[in-house]
Amino acid sequence: MKRKLLVTLLVGSMLTAAACSDSKKDSGSSGSPLKAAWIYVGPTNDGGWTTAHDNGRKAVEAALGSKVLTTFKENVPEGPEVAQVIDDLVKDGNKIIFATSFGFGDAMLAAAKKYPDVKFEHATGIPNDTPNWSTYYGAGEQSTYLAGMAAGKATKSNTIGFVAPFPIPEVVRHINAYTLGARSVNPQATVKVVWINSWFDPAKERQAAESLVSGGADIIASGGDSPAPGDAAKAAGVGWTGYDSDQGANYPDVWLTAAIYDWGSYYTKEVQAVIDGTWAKGDYYGNIADGFTTIAPYGKRVDDATRALIDAKKADIIAGKFDIFAGPINDQSGAEKVAAGKSIDFGEQMSIQWFVEGVDGEIPA
Amino acid sequence: MIRLERRASFPKWLGWVIPIASIAAALVAGALLILVSGNDPLDTYSRILDRAFASGEALSATLIAATPLLFTGLAAAAAFKMGVFNIGGQGQFVIGTVTAAWTGLMWGDSLGKAVIPLMILAGVLGGALWAAIAGVLRAWLNTNEIITTLMLNYIAANLASWLIFNSRSYWRLLSGSGLQFPQGKRLPEGSDWPDLSLGSLVLPCGLLIGTAVAVGCWALYRHTRFGFEVSIISDSPEAAAYAGMRTKRKVLAVIALSGGLAGLGGAADVGNFRHVLDPKGLNQSGYGYAGIVIAALARLNPIAVVFVAVLMGGLSNAGRSLQGPDFPAGLVGTLQGMVLFFALGGEVLARYRIRRTVRIPEGVTV
Repeated sequence: MKRKLLVTLLVGSMLTAAACSDSKKDSGSSGSPLKAAWIYVGPTNDGGWTTAHDNGRKAVEAALGSKVLTTFKENVPEGPEVAQVIDDLVKDGNKIIFATSFGFGDAMLAAAKKYPDVKFEHATGIPNDTPNWSTYYGAGEQSTYLAGMAAGKATKSNTIGFVAPFPIPEVVRHINAYTLGARSVNPQATVKVVWINSWFDPAKERQAAESLVSGGADIIASGGDSPAPGDAAKAAGVGWTGYDSDQGANYPDVWLTAAIYDWGSYYTKEVQAVIDGTWAKGDYYGNIADGFTTIAPYGKRVDDATRALIDAKKADIIAGKFDIFAGPINDQSGAEKVAAGKSIDFGEQMSIQWFVEGVDGEIPA
Repeated sequence: MIRLERRASFPKWLGWVIPIASIAAALVAGALLILVSGNDPLDTYSRILDRAFASGEALSATLIAATPLLFTGLAAAAAFKMGVFNIGGQGQFVIGTVTAAWTGLMWGDSLGKAVIPLMILAGVLGGALWAAIAGVLRAWLNTNEIITTLMLNYIAANLASWLIFNSRSYWRLLSGSGLQFPQGKRLPEGSDWPDLSLGSLVLPCGLLIGTAVAVGCWALYRHTRFGFEVSIISDSPEAAAYAGMRTKRKVLAVIALSGGLAGLGGAADVGNFRHVLDPKGLNQSGYGYAGIVIAALARLNPIAVVFVAVLMGGLSNAGRSLQGPDFPAGLVGTLQGMVLFFALGGEVLARYRIRRTVRIPEGVTV
């Protein structure tokens, strides 16, 4: 009896498998689709950075349908393995490869030189003259400023805790923007920074958030990839601004908003360009005006007055009427760093290594 | 009742049959899993072979993945052989990359390839000294080395991370792209370890060194007084002490040897592949922990470690090749785990036999 059951199960699963592989062939048979691949440093279900990029990949599939066949490699460690992964993807016939971690840069650039027929695009990467090489990223600081406004209005203890990944210009820039946003609506607010030296480490991210809460923070800000600080916020009953992914539905009680990126539109545009043969190298830095960066829908902790305030500011940024880094800006010591009428120019933004007034924390050497 | 009973004798043929049978069983069980997940087992298996072993290019990639595992496998085997449980291969490997990278940065330009032996020496010393901390604690203070070596892993990881992310250290690149993201200085290219190319097959220098070291370890444990004493101490420390062997020194020597092997792996990793101190990548790789599994699968035999490391390198290499939207990383991990589970399960069956015993009711005399 038992044996019969086992055989039935076996045959059944074989048939299912056969059916599945048939349907796969069908979808590929209409023309020959362009193959596109993504390389992720984390898991696609990290609930942050990698999830956001993988949603972008799915958006490409949804938009281009049978014209494209996408794949991804997740949890790829930075190191000698990356070159193997790229070789493998090229061997499988992928014509455009996106890599979404800074640490993949060297292997990606080497591969771009080795495979001139394949397009290589590196998120947050460094520009290079190689003709089949592009970089892309966006002004997350603009949306981070808006998220900071929500936090500044929501805090009662005037202490906001920021779970910060690495002491690099990108993160320093975001912390500065967040703090400027918070203090624009609440001059008493301070932003406490804890470094975790990792992009994705749920345990560390949560621990950092918990220590910030016990240090008096009643709003937690994420700078890393996982929603773990949201868990800490939930447990402590404090508010949370996320990063990269809209987690409002999963954390309804603590959610304020988050700075997010629209990777999908960019990916779709690039893949379409490869299909059309019009792909051109470039170093894209999207912003809130062209829709590449924005903020996630507000949670219930953001009241109507604050929503109106943030929406108005967002409209001003889009219209070019407001520059988040316009002076006067003081540094941590209270000394004026940027005079009224001046601004932090793009070059300095990209290499910034000082905190604005209101940040409680330091940048390690 | 089912009991496991140690086999009195271990027939030679079992040594061959059981690993083959375990792998066959793992393949069958894996096939079921693949079927249930809606993929084709034959396709999957042929892809593993194709992408890990079947061509010169694929095999070269596998050998790259295998090189660090070979060293951490040897490190674990060397210590476990004496019942010293050095779980710190990861940390000793990391320290080896730190010291070897320093040597390479310091003299790579002036010495060129001649810096390679120095890097090897630095890696071995770094790993050995790091392990010796736990060795001294174990030998003279009787501290549990499982805990100390494990804790030293975290210290090593944080130390390397501090060198790159939180200080303006000698290892750190402080110009160009280093201003955008903290990273290590690249070692002078002239000091890169050479590879041996045989047609399309590329043998990394580190792998060749590792294989030679494996043979050396085998000879050390098999044919020297040192090896003899290690096996006595492993069987009975009391008897060894009674026979006048210096067990404390031996514990320290073995743990330092183990650490030195892991540190040498770190040197190979820097010299052969990464060419920078890369704490983030090393942390993500977990070579040290994989080495423990490899040593167990190889039954602590250094020669077998070479083959198991290549097999494991192939599995991880092919695993990433299998991955995709229809084949999640979790499924790859489950498959790899099944192979290990069956292999270690087979090992138990090789050493023990299963006996069904009938409990005799009380009062009945037989």
